[in-house]
Amino acid sequence: MKRIGQILLLALAALPAPALAQSATATGTVGVGGQVAPVCILGTPNPAVINLGTLANTSGARVGRIVTFSEQNVTLPSSFCNFAGSQLTVQATALLSTDDTTPPAGFARAVNYTASASGWAASNATVTTTALADGTAATATGTGSVQPLPKLADLLVTLSDFTVTGDAILVAGNYSGTIVVTLGPAAIP
Amino acid sequence: MRKLSIGVAVLATALAAPAFAQSSTSTKSFTVQGNVPAMCAGGTIVGGNGTFDLGVLADTTTGQLRTDLSAPDKVISGSFCSSRSTITIAATPMAAQNFTATPPSGFARSVNYVASASGWTTTPASFDTGAAANTAATQIRATAFTGDITVGIAGFATSGGSTLRLVADTNYSGLVTVTLTAAP
Repeated sequence: MKRIGQILLLALAALPAPALAQSATATGTVGVGGQVAPVCILGTPNPAVINLGTLANTSGARVGRIVTFSEQNVTLPSSFCNFAGSQLTVQATALLSTDDTTPPAGFARAVNYTASASGWAASNATVTTTALADGTAATATGTGSVQPLPKLADLLVTLSDFTVTGDAILVAGNYSGTIVVTLGPAAIP
Repeated sequence: MRKLSIGVAVLATALAAPAFAQSSTSTKSFTVQGNVPAMCAGGTIVGGNGTFDLGVLADTTTGQLRTDLSAPDKVISGSFCSSRSTITIAATPMAAQNFTATPPSGFARSVNYVASASGWTTTPASFDTGAAANTAATQIRATAFTGDITVGIAGFATSGGSTLRLVADTNYSGLVTVTLTAAP
């Protein structure tokens, strides 16, 4: 019991302490600063590969020539730029046969198409490839209008109008093309 | 001292800011792919008439095969192969279609000939209906090709020997077949 009494006494003595501190207060200001870097991030393309299957008709009046394909869509979900003045660019390369031998007269080894990326600014980034039958001049680039505000959106890339220069017969083989989408600061005019 | 150290930290952050611009662009790519199978299309016979009409086969004074038989070539247009290919020609002798029995001694009921297909390969594919083997019947072309194929018949010979006479028949006929095959 005697010990308990001593502890209580100590506790009472401690209570007046805050009042003593107030009399010695000094106030200062510390600034808190930070930076947000300008960033654009494109979502992962879905699907990552568009497989058109057989490109040429295997029977009928258009045997050997390009099949009529419907539009093919790829989304880049939750793409954003956190600053004003960004621009979307699409670079497309025609589908080319992996065999780069110059095709004989009447044949082609390139399939052209139109790639259009929408959902970012007033005008889409659109490009149509114009590869020649032998696969030269296969890459082309299109840029959309400037987005004046920071923006978050699902981008849609549509591939359409698959054609062959001169509607030539396609040489046998595997074909592949690449679409590169770039989101970044608007080009300085 | 503490305030001073905070100030230095802010300054250091500000100096690093120009580096942000380099990382503000994002690039993603995807591919589009497809394939074209090796294939051939046979085309069509120009004019639509698929018959070599030789007329009367026998010399009416001797009864033997005429020596001046000929027929215009047939042209097949619109053919193509999308890869390397082979062209093969095959033919059957012109045989009497009504007189089907074994002909009497001294007579024959069929006529051999050589059919050839040119335009597809450097060496025309040819087939002799009277030959035991026809090694030239199949020719290879190393590249994809589209173009006319000219089919002709020539080198007529009475089956069994030129001294034999042909049995009378209103219809002697044979068949020429040209085949394009995509080669792997």
